[in-house]
Amino acid sequence: METKTCITINEATLGYKKNKQNVEVLKSINLQFNTTDFIGIVGLNGTGKSTLLKTLCGLLAPLNGNIHINNKNYNQLTTLELAKQISAVLTEKISGFNLTCYDAVAMGQLPYTNLFNTLTTQNYNIINNAIEVCGLKNHQHKLLNELSDGLFQKTMIAKCVAQQTPIMLLDEPSAFLDYASKHELFLLLQKFTTQQQKCILVSSHDLDLVLKYCKKLLVVNNNSAELISTSEALHHPVFKQISGGYIF
Amino acid sequence: MFKSNLSKFIILLALFLAGALLSLSIGGSQSFSVLDAETNNFIFWQIRFPKTITAILAGSTLSIAGLILQLMFRNPLAGPYVLGISSGASLFVATTFLTGNAFNLFSNYFFGKSMVVVSSIFGSLIITFLILALSKKINNNVILLLIGLMISQICGALQGFLEYFANPNSLKAFVIWGMGSLGGTTNLDLLIYSPIAVLGLIAVLFFIKPLTAFLLGENYAINSGINYSKNRFYLILISSLLTGVTTAFCGPIAFVGIAIPILSRIIFKTSNQKIHVISCMLIGSCVLLFSDALCHNLLKNTVLPINMITTFVGAPLVIYLLFKSKQW
Repeated sequence: METKTCITINEATLGYKKNKQNVEVLKSINLQFNTTDFIGIVGLNGTGKSTLLKTLCGLLAPLNGNIHINNKNYNQLTTLELAKQISAVLTEKISGFNLTCYDAVAMGQLPYTNLFNTLTTQNYNIINNAIEVCGLKNHQHKLLNELSDGLFQKTMIAKCVAQQTPIMLLDEPSAFLDYASKHELFLLLQKFTTQQQKCILVSSHDLDLVLKYCKKLLVVNNNSAELISTSEALHHPVFKQISGGYIF
Repeated sequence: MFKSNLSKFIILLALFLAGALLSLSIGGSQSFSVLDAETNNFIFWQIRFPKTITAILAGSTLSIAGLILQLMFRNPLAGPYVLGISSGASLFVATTFLTGNAFNLFSNYFFGKSMVVVSSIFGSLIITFLILALSKKINNNVILLLIGLMISQICGALQGFLEYFANPNSLKAFVIWGMGSLGGTTNLDLLIYSPIAVLGLIAVLFFIKPLTAFLLGENYAINSGINYSKNRFYLILISSLLTGVTTAFCGPIAFVGIAIPILSRIIFKTSNQKIHVISCMLIGSCVLLFSDALCHNLLKNTVLPINMITTFVGAPLVIYLLFKSKQW
């Protein structure tokens, strides 16, 4: 299968601003991600996994360097254009205000609706399809706070599916999930990379899952990020350090 | 789903019409028939008609301002009164009104009223931005409520300071205004009040999409293609306009802004903000129309302040919500 480059990061320094001072978390990184890539981002806490994901989905501005999303300069993309390229599952838990599973998934269509957010038949079809694909059909009318953690994460993934973006980012989606739900979640994501040619980046502390399902790993450590293939991970010094040597 | 929502809307509309009729037919003078036609006419057009329109405008504007604040802060306990925004408006009105009267600035009616309206809107705006800045430091719904209460107290204290030095006549007028009343608005006032209020209410319709996106919080809203800070700025402007203009004419009215959106979410079990915008206007109007009717009828020959009724309804609702862990 032919793959295309969808994210290029060139000599970029990522981080955030604190009291008007730049805090550099990842320095001069060079990375490239392609369609059908299923990439696990691993690293100890505070090394910059979230910073990378937040920057890519437009929540943080890069401090320096170039990022291209599907050959378009990241800095020239509007919020709306970026939302049509990249969808994200973030760590925050949402509930209240009568929000149901269906409502949350429907938010995925926000970039495509008119000023009054009127949903057309086409919008409804896409939303229903996303719910179906993620196996949420029997839960779609439940309120968000009635969902288990696993179903909530699936809901947010279905929102990304409804957003119809070529790139999906997930920030620690497997945290708080039970064993079976974790595997279901990774299998679901794997399916999207193979069947829909999506590029998926997922950060996780579940190293065994990442090793099992992801094709490549992005090892984040000491202000830098390195892309390695899963097969060489066990012999990689940084990966050994991240795992504490406890795997196998 | 649509059918049941439609029937709820029909019931609300019926209540709204009943409330409007009630408010038009009940007033200080109970015995309509005894008076001659000319007096009746005067009472109807110069007293009851503006009062009824004011109730509808005040109910709609405060409820929508509350809805905007609740969605913006993602906090079901937000509202213009409990966050101290109404008090901020009061303080600025007090400053303008009391100093203006002292220097005899208000001899021209439209100039005086416009000054009061502008300062009221400005006061709401300042407090809303203050609350917004503070809310970024804390991530707790109840603490935000407490901070609002404290800001409210500070504004009250400053206002007391101003009142202390005011001359007796303007002080009396101001204190009566501060109690909150729907009856103080004349037809002439409505010429200023209604265009601003209606404009603000129409503007909200164009922000349905960002309001919907705000349900998922700031980060998800941005990832849905919404320009968060721009939309938030306009929504603060609209909610301050709505709170400010109503406070300028009716005084600070308690608990309508916080309670009506909550009621709307209880009645319409949906997260569709289009439904809530319409229903908040209807429920808000109904509540103030019926509260006004109660004010005129609970005690004979006395009109109770509207805040008494709205507090009796609104405050227990807030307490109930604090006890219930489920968020509305």
